[in-house]
Amino acid sequence: MGFREKILTRSLYVFHVSSGSCNNCDIELLDCLTPRYDLERFGIVLVGSVKHADALLCTGSTNRMCVPRIKLLYEQMPKPGFVIAWGACGSSRGLFKDSYNTGAPLDEIIPVDLYIPGCPPKPEAVIGGIKKLVEKINTTR
Amino acid sequence: MTIDEILQKLQERFGSNILKVYKKNDKRAYVDIYPKDIVEFTKYIFKDLGLRFNIASAVDDFDALEILYHFADDASGYVISLRALIKEREDPHIDTITTVTKSAWWIEREIHELFGIHFDGNKDLRPLLLPDDWPQGVYPLRKNFVVPKRDSRKS
Amino acid sequence: MNILESLFQFLIFPGFIFSAVMGLLTGWVDRKVTAKVQWRVGPPWYQNFADVIKLLFYKETLIPVNVSKPIFLGMPLLSLASATLVSTIVLVINGKPGSGFLGDLIVVIYLLMIPAISLMLGAFASENPLASLGASREMKLMLSYELPFIISILVPVIKAGYAIKLGDIITHQALFGHTIASLSGFLSFVVMLFCVQAKLGFVPFDMAEAETEIMSGTYIEYSGKALGVFKLSRAVVLFILPVLMITLYFGGISSEGEAFIRNILEYLMIVALVVVIKNTNPRVRIDQAMDFFWGPVTLVAIGAVAFAYLGH
Repeated sequence: MGFREKILTRSLYVFHVSSGSCNNCDIELLDCLTPRYDLERFGIVLVGSVKHADALLCTGSTNRMCVPRIKLLYEQMPKPGFVIAWGACGSSRGLFKDSYNTGAPLDEIIPVDLYIPGCPPKPEAVIGGIKKLVEKINTTR
Repeated sequence: MTIDEILQKLQERFGSNILKVYKKNDKRAYVDIYPKDIVEFTKYIFKDLGLRFNIASAVDDFDALEILYHFADDASGYVISLRALIKEREDPHIDTITTVTKSAWWIEREIHELFGIHFDGNKDLRPLLLPDDWPQGVYPLRKNFVVPKRDSRKS
Repeated sequence: MNILESLFQFLIFPGFIFSAVMGLLTGWVDRKVTAKVQWRVGPPWYQNFADVIKLLFYKETLIPVNVSKPIFLGMPLLSLASATLVSTIVLVINGKPGSGFLGDLIVVIYLLMIPAISLMLGAFASENPLASLGASREMKLMLSYELPFIISILVPVIKAGYAIKLGDIITHQALFGHTIASLSGFLSFVVMLFCVQAKLGFVPFDMAEAETEIMSGTYIEYSGKALGVFKLSRAVVLFILPVLMITLYFGGISSEGEAFIRNILEYLMIVALVVVIKNTNPRVRIDQAMDFFWGPVTLVAIGAVAFAYLGH
């Protein structure tokens, strides 16, 4: 667990992408930044441009029109970068798996590093998930 | 104006062209009409009675295609819906109401691409929400549409 | 003043390393006070250092295809260089008030404009419509706040007996009392506080880098090393502007024990004022900002100069 991993895990800039979500997960993400669960004490900040981001946070079941755009966004994120699939829709399209407009789940389009299940996930689940991402970065890189 | 007064005015004006009136409660009423009369009804409700065109929605009942046009009165908060049943499922047509209110343009585009109903007189019925490479002639919200089995590695 | 000593002063103390470290720590004070105002816990003390080290060493730098590389990559360096130069000049003169030159205050004012101009040029060179939008807002904001900034700097100059050297302003205040203890000094301190808020790019005047409105405006195409250098230059400017205010209004930084502690308290008070204004206000539109700076603020500044001329 070297210096590089320590620095990467202490300051994660997150860019939020919604590819066709019902917005419940987006509201829950803002919920995690409120004083009760405060994600900024871990160094996590929401940024405005994808070129500043370390982690791409995808909510929503990826619908067909979003697929080329999510690929472009993933390519524009400077590496080393991680992808977080948020919610049941991000992990596997959730209850929209038999719909005409969701072709493939997110992890067949871009490589995913962390799944946070839940519809929407509780903030405690989010903090637990980020802890797992930190452990993963420290052990496998 | 209360909802009862509106229904009474519609009854007086259109009389025999109304098939059925169903008043659900003080805020909701459904009026069944023939599809050929939709423009006349819209003109009367939109211009003379002053209700706002809210949205249109469509359902595929198994023997007919049904379009609901919702009109709202913002002062009192009630919604009147006109229900038009289109019996020909092979080549459904109905007149467009964009001659009365331009706000219906995009919802007619959406109903056209998802159900296949052609709105006569609407000059621009391009697809709105489906992706560009969606095959022509396949209408997803019809009951006989089957989601293709997922081919992994392709979207 | 040989070359090695100048290089040491520019690069290590009180130049680049010292100002960058102090600026990043001041940025941490800003984030911590913001968190406390919002009843949160806030990041640990090393947070800004981790951010800058991650950007400078561990992230790749993406350059858009058709930009002109000298401008795109050179503007962050220009911004950092000029901010460091200002810091060196102001702190060396504070240490030895006799070592300035005639007109060094004017040089400092010129050099303080360069970070904003280089940000604008870098944003225009980014070939992105949102970046151009942010750069045009930055340009209008600069036109707005530079006018009252320069007018309000005339007040310490007049009160120190029409002296243009920073060293003379410091020695005059040591003999005759601080500038802020007079009516004109207090008014011009308030005007300069607003101009410093706009110069730093803090809410309510951060419409150039508006995070969620135009997706980080001027910084949208910067990543990796270039963004890290921009963040460092912002940190240095955040450090040096309160020090300049202390020099002009509170008598400068002195090296005796008790006065030094008082200087640290004055520095923290100015930073706390800026942060509290940042946390209690929404972002304003660019035309509202222009009306504000060219209207009430300039009038108060002109009034302060008139009071100073009449001797109050």
